[in-house]
Amino acid sequence: MTANFLQLENGQYPNLMKQLKNENERLNAFNFIDETEKTGKIISVKDNICVKGMPATASSKILRGYVPGFNATAVERLEKNGFSVIGKTNMDEFGFGSFGLNSEKPAKNPFDEEYIAGGSSSGSAIATAIIKDHVSIAESTGGSISAPAAFCGVVGLTPTYGLVSRYGLIDYASSLDKIGFMGKSADNIRDVMSKTVGEDPKDTTSLSKNVSNENSRVLYVIDNLMEGVDEGIRDRFESLLSNLANKGYKVEHTKIDYLKHAVPAYYILSMAEASTNLAKYQGFKYGFKVKDFSLNYNDFFMSARKQFGREAKRRVILGTFIRSKSIKQKYYEKSLVLRQSIIKMMHDVLKNGFIITPTMPIFTPKIDEVKDISPVEAYSMDMLTVPPNLCGFPHMSFPYFYEKGMPLGAQLITDHFNDYALLDFLSEWEKDFKYTFKEELG
Amino acid sequence: MKIGLEVHVALPTKTKLFCSDLAYENQEEPNSNVCPVCLGLPGSKPVLNETALEISTSIANALNCKISENTWFVRKVYFYPDLPKGYQITQLDGAIGIDGYVDLNGKKIGIRRVQIEEDPARIIREKDYSLLDFNRSGVPLNEIVTEPDISNLEELKDFVEELRSILYYQGVNVNQELKTDLNISLAETRVEIKNVTGVRNLISAAEYEIKRQSAMIKEGKSIKAETRSYKEDTEETVSSREKETEEEYGFTFEPDLTFYSTKEIKPQNPVIASKVAKGLADKNQYSEKTIKELIMFNKRNMSLLLGVNKEDFRKAVSLIEKFAAFGIEDYSSGEFNSMLKNDITSVERPAFMSLLGREKAAEANIDKGEIEKWIRYVLSSDKNLLDRGLTDPKVIGFMIGQVKEKYQINGKDAADLIKKVIKDLQNK
Repeated sequence: MTANFLQLENGQYPNLMKQLKNENERLNAFNFIDETEKTGKIISVKDNICVKGMPATASSKILRGYVPGFNATAVERLEKNGFSVIGKTNMDEFGFGSFGLNSEKPAKNPFDEEYIAGGSSSGSAIATAIIKDHVSIAESTGGSISAPAAFCGVVGLTPTYGLVSRYGLIDYASSLDKIGFMGKSADNIRDVMSKTVGEDPKDTTSLSKNVSNENSRVLYVIDNLMEGVDEGIRDRFESLLSNLANKGYKVEHTKIDYLKHAVPAYYILSMAEASTNLAKYQGFKYGFKVKDFSLNYNDFFMSARKQFGREAKRRVILGTFIRSKSIKQKYYEKSLVLRQSIIKMMHDVLKNGFIITPTMPIFTPKIDEVKDISPVEAYSMDMLTVPPNLCGFPHMSFPYFYEKGMPLGAQLITDHFNDYALLDFLSEWEKDFKYTFKEELG
Repeated sequence: MKIGLEVHVALPTKTKLFCSDLAYENQEEPNSNVCPVCLGLPGSKPVLNETALEISTSIANALNCKISENTWFVRKVYFYPDLPKGYQITQLDGAIGIDGYVDLNGKKIGIRRVQIEEDPARIIREKDYSLLDFNRSGVPLNEIVTEPDISNLEELKDFVEELRSILYYQGVNVNQELKTDLNISLAETRVEIKNVTGVRNLISAAEYEIKRQSAMIKEGKSIKAETRSYKEDTEETVSSREKETEEEYGFTFEPDLTFYSTKEIKPQNPVIASKVAKGLADKNQYSEKTIKELIMFNKRNMSLLLGVNKEDFRKAVSLIEKFAAFGIEDYSSGEFNSMLKNDITSVERPAFMSLLGREKAAEANIDKGEIEKWIRYVLSSDKNLLDRGLTDPKVIGFMIGQVKEKYQINGKDAADLIKKVIKDLQNK
């Protein structure tokens, strides 16, 4: 077990920056690249996580100009352990999206620019794919780590909810947001993760539990979750299962009720919370500032909030509707109950083994194919990543196949606080699997 | 007539409700006691001040509430410049206390809820613009919501007095200006008067509103259910355009916080001064009203009076009154008990001080700054006096008399102080 990170000697940094900036022109991986010379082990950080002195925009125009004066706890802990942040990675605005397109600069797939990189942690996935030995600090609410990891051929690990402090994370939906990791080696991710996890007095929802690695040889396929998955994906996934069976894993089939309600429940809860988390953007204290002080407060406020992108506006409006008193019981409270039931049912399976699924129900789409699809179609792409996210179960997307040169990812889910078992599985997987990338900088 | 109140009181904690900035000290410089949390900066997260939870538990307990075993917070979403996050962290169903009451001479005024919440920033309104001071943002409050059980103005006054006394004995600073929302309905419709500051204004607002609604009923007009605000200058209530309803607040669980168990919290014993006063009055056959005046807002007086036996009670009351009249604040219970042995019925200050063994100390203790301040105040409020100033011995003589009487100091000291102040004022 050896972690190995890119760490530059004197004088090498400007060269990497030059290469990175060129690549960034093409792929839109970064919202901000820090050109000051760094000597530590290099990491990148999603643009909704605060790094002291660097802009934090969450890809939103309304946050343009916000430079936090404090580090997120995750960043603080990594800097203390010899890591240096080279920049802030592109994302869907506030995390709202699965394709990486809800950003002023649409993210592009490092294998082929015509294809999406996935979202919302699009830039973290691209940066991980194009920089040697890289680990990026990303964040997932409903699948924002798994989706881009799968499309960009890297590993994306989303820890148990609460394991990594959210202090310094620009909130999307506080009860669902999880800071996590992208990388292309189990050892690197384990190293970064072990230095990041643990209770934080600045985040009430952070947890002090020990993280275990109870390994299992049983892999559960949830049959009713596979409905709606593309035929081709099912086919490749079947081959993966045979491959794993040959390695000594026992593949079991089971069903979990209510899973078809996971996506609506997730969107109801996340939009309700998002609409309150976005209430703070009012255009006069930080980020985008309204200049016209002759406006009355309502007009002033509205002219600030025009800066939100289309998807952000949609979620504020829907989320506000969902919270209104007369219908709250019908949707919001029902979703809370559903979440509890699904947690219990998934837990009953996870105590006996891993759950394995494809990460995404489709092959990587071209940007042109998805940029105009309806919100409901777009949301349905999260059908496989939402269940573990809704329930706070740790999960990991890992690459397992290259389809005409483009990577495919599968998702492994385990029980709460058993996160390191995912990395043990990955270590074993890496023995016979070769990550393939077009080029790696550094 | 039905009157209900929502009373907001600031809690006696060192730091704010969700961050470690000072809540009350060092507030002179605007926006100096602020941090990412109370400014609501993106990325910051609230962390509950456990002391505020403990104090709130004691207050809820003193108001005979059921204490929630697991208490939790909600976001109340509305937009106003003083609200940094666009929502206020407050409580609703998971409030720390529910279903309590205040006993008002046998009549129970229901307490629907005691909830913990954060204060917004302070808005300073200038002519063409407003300024925001976030020092107050995040100061811990309790909102105490009553049932509409108060049925007339007298009862309202009694209730507020009783509530303030209960809060005083829970350590709350009762000199703060209470902020109250007042609900009054004389007929079926409910009128809410929002954001009334201070007790005096509260009573005056209620008085005005009762008159207004009675007049309308008399004239056969219907009363509109609406939100009004109280204008301090004209002492009347006016219709305000506020439209926010519970529907629009869109309350949701505050997911940055958690459930807080109150099982381990031992609430402070409630002290109900009015009950204590009644007990003392019965036991010592003394005027309940006088005892109430002495102990409703004075812990020392209560403990002194509880400590004396029936024979000394009358004397103890007049001794307390003497101490107060002579402006002596810093006496010990030992000094009090030894003074109780003297007959002080017609004793003046100098003799009193000498009985107390403090005549020397008293000289040393004269607060010259305080006296100067008072002289300055008197002189500057009468320009004629100041203009005649040093040249007119009558003025100085008059002032010496005033100062001697008020501060019990000798004539020379008084004259020196007066001359000094006059000189200062003339030099300006």
